[in-house]
Amino acid sequence: MGHFFLSILIILFGGFLSLVLARQVKLMRFTAVFFLSIGCFLGLMDAVLKLIQPGIAGASFRYLNVFSLAFKMDELSGFFLVIIFAICLIAAIYSFHYMENSRNSLRTAVNYFFFSILIASMALVVTAANMITFMLSWEIMSLSSFFLVIYKHHSAESRKAGYLYFIFSHVGAMFIFAAFGIVYGYTGSFGFEDMGSLPETAKILVFIFSFIGFGSKAGVFPFHVWLPHAHPAAPSHISAVMSGVMIKTGIYGIIKMYILLNLHTALFGNIVLFAGVISGILGIVYALGQQDLKRLLAYSSVENIGIILIGLGVGMIGVSSKNPLMAVLGFTGGFLHILNHSIFKSLLFMGAGMVLHKTGTRSIDALGGLLKNMKITGLSVIIGSLAICGLPPFNGFVGEFFIYIGGFKGVALDKSAFVMSCFAIISLAVIGGLALACFTKVIGIAFQGEPRTDAAVNIDEKGPSMLFAMSILACACVIIGIFPKLILWMPVKAVSALGLGIGRVPPEPFGQMAGNITLAATIFLVSVLLVTAIRWFFYRNKTITRSGTWGCGFTQPTVKMQYTGSSYASFILDFFRPAAPLDEDHPKITGRFPLNTYYTSHVNDIAELHMKRVIVNPILFLFDKLRWIQHGDIHLYIGYILLAIILLLFFI
Amino acid sequence: MIESIILWLLAVLVAPFFSGVILKVKAFFGGKKGPPLLINYYTLIKLFKKGSVYSTSTTVMFKLGPIISLGTALVVLMFLPIAGQDPIFSFKGDILFILYLMGLGRFFVIAAAMDTASPFEGMGAAREAYFPIICEATTFMILIFFYRLTGELQLSAYFTEGNTIELWNLTGAPLLFVVIAFFIILLTENSRVPVDDPATHLELTMIHEVMVLDHSGPDFGLIELGSFCKLFFYSTIVSRLIFPFDFGSSAIGFFVFIAGLIIVYVAVGVTESVIARYRMDKVPQFVLTSFALAFFATIITLEFIK
Repeated sequence: MGHFFLSILIILFGGFLSLVLARQVKLMRFTAVFFLSIGCFLGLMDAVLKLIQPGIAGASFRYLNVFSLAFKMDELSGFFLVIIFAICLIAAIYSFHYMENSRNSLRTAVNYFFFSILIASMALVVTAANMITFMLSWEIMSLSSFFLVIYKHHSAESRKAGYLYFIFSHVGAMFIFAAFGIVYGYTGSFGFEDMGSLPETAKILVFIFSFIGFGSKAGVFPFHVWLPHAHPAAPSHISAVMSGVMIKTGIYGIIKMYILLNLHTALFGNIVLFAGVISGILGIVYALGQQDLKRLLAYSSVENIGIILIGLGVGMIGVSSKNPLMAVLGFTGGFLHILNHSIFKSLLFMGAGMVLHKTGTRSIDALGGLLKNMKITGLSVIIGSLAICGLPPFNGFVGEFFIYIGGFKGVALDKSAFVMSCFAIISLAVIGGLALACFTKVIGIAFQGEPRTDAAVNIDEKGPSMLFAMSILACACVIIGIFPKLILWMPVKAVSALGLGIGRVPPEPFGQMAGNITLAATIFLVSVLLVTAIRWFFYRNKTITRSGTWGCGFTQPTVKMQYTGSSYASFILDFFRPAAPLDEDHPKITGRFPLNTYYTSHVNDIAELHMKRVIVNPILFLFDKLRWIQHGDIHLYIGYILLAIILLLFFI
Repeated sequence: MIESIILWLLAVLVAPFFSGVILKVKAFFGGKKGPPLLINYYTLIKLFKKGSVYSTSTTVMFKLGPIISLGTALVVLMFLPIAGQDPIFSFKGDILFILYLMGLGRFFVIAAAMDTASPFEGMGAAREAYFPIICEATTFMILIFFYRLTGELQLSAYFTEGNTIELWNLTGAPLLFVVIAFFIILLTENSRVPVDDPATHLELTMIHEVMVLDHSGPDFGLIELGSFCKLFFYSTIVSRLIFPFDFGSSAIGFFVFIAGLIIVYVAVGVTESVIARYRMDKVPQFVLTSFALAFFATIITLEFIK
């Protein structure tokens, strides 16, 4: 554990130094990035070593003489640590040039400070070995990310986003507290180990509570409402970390609880799978309806969390129906997707950050033609989009491939396992198709065509550290997509150490499947090379001319006539109208020569709509009625305190 | 292996011919003489001889579109058992790879269309992104059906040698539903009437044709060849399903297979001649029919296979 704590200390030291050096902006950025990177790199090495040489390391400290802070590193935490440190390392590098525009140096310093705390607390969350340690790290993680979200605290939108995030993370934490409280009520200890001794009904209740709590961090529908507000508000390297890594700690919590409770009922699998299907489909439908690039990516995180949960759900159903192969395939697919999603989602957020950095707008419909001048960014975003659509030969395909195979194993089973497996397979197919529509929209509208507004004209791409970070991630997408064997051992190790009660996991079929993917990807690449050669052959000595796009007879086209993102998506959104109601606003066109007009549309999120109607409004109403308690008279306040103490004395 | 490669080459070479059959059938219904059967070869040769005009709006994505779409079509045919013979490549789960590879082809065709900044091509792209979603759901439903019967997830487990006839023996009538569902997917994925009209002259009403408006010369030739191959892929599967008999690698087998192919292509031609294209908002209902059919087929077989 020594190396682990050392890396955490280096990271925290870097954050602290940035506060000290706040006045020398450039030096501050450099030292902060330097120490964060060193710390993350060390932590990454340690985590990888941990996965290569299994063996449980632990450490514990006394805190306030009452509680013990215990940490433990096993394969599961090792797997998550790899993701946390790897992505944070690249995000830190990216931030070096991303933060250069910031005029307020103190704010930048504070940003680095909380960034370092966020990295450290995420690492502590996945290594925590008892409830106190876990909740302590969890709360530090939530609070530090809250301060990162309100980076632009002068804008009302950011404050609102931060507020929403604050409420959601704390209501979520309350559910986790409730779950832990039930456990403590039965076992009387804060240890994780005793959770297996609970009676079955208590276990189910604990799982459901913690699923809601962790689900609200992970962004599971309908607890995802904060996500599309908070992620766009933060600076892009923070969005990348939050979307790529932080929400995965929620997934970690769900897996951890499942393992600790050690109850192999089909109910858990069904809950997780069902939540996954709903988040997956609705997440991508809402993503399709967004005009804000970063909001779109945030919704697509909801979708990918859905895919991950489908994988885990398939695995859990495999465990409960005593089908080891299905269990291992489902879990491995889910874990692979956790890893892959962290890579391509942070890549896409970094790409969106570059666009925002240079154009100053996040609106897709204001962009266009960026690919011409932003070659590296454009190419990276295209690779990220292909990967997120789950297309071969990119890394997104690998995880989905395993989940599919696991799902098909379930098709051969009976009754509920069969129905749920069919459900998983069909929804994965639909999610894949919708993701393709969503990301062709991003590429087609923002990066291709002609600039729609002045904001997108003559944009260049500068910032070597940003380009470097994106290129690394894009390369990772391609390399993992072609040679999945390179990383497949990590999820396989993590899954086999879960202790699912299915015996040893044989690595051979995984190696074979990875080999097949490599073979197929190679065939594809060779055939593309072949076609390129044919094309080259036919284009020798030919006249190539350039001219305007064929306007089907219309000779005066303007850039405003291009298809917009909203019109591109409207066809599909029509199909999902009940789940994604559309608000439109435009004046009625009258007369033969209509005047200037406008059109605005907004796709509503039903979770947000109903949460306001069913939960927020009644609570506001109730508290409005209780306003008289809060009268400002200090004498009576003292009276309240006395009354509360007296009442409490009756119970103790 | 050698046989499979020869079959693959033949498939790529004859795919344009079969698409010519459709034109001939349509001409027959229109009371016209129609273009010669080899018209598609003449068109391809003409296209490959030409140069190209590129729009000033386009980038490298525009040139990648034709390459990737033909590249994927060629790879897909390598995994396809033609006339009941073993395909060149095959592995467990290859069908997933193939379906997603076709998605990759679609991604690049859409990206190439969006590259031109033309509102018409954007419109076509939006439709091209929409309808295949439902097709994919149907395809996976059919896969569930096949998996339930065979326990395999591999094209060669369904369509080589005696495997197809075994499918019929196991289920019988429900497989008919699957054939119809597959035919609907064929029409949708290949932009045929009643989903799309490849012969219409109004850009607003097209899907596939409008997306390739700006492609010219060899680039357009590659796209055309890619779509012939894609149609050939689907037709081969339907042909195999309607004539599942196994004759080994004898000549009769090939004749039966080609007869099946011609029946499929003629059926496409007849469909195009007797129905008009549906209104765009009716198309999803038509495509969803295929899902319902595949779904019912699966439900019915649940009882048979215990």
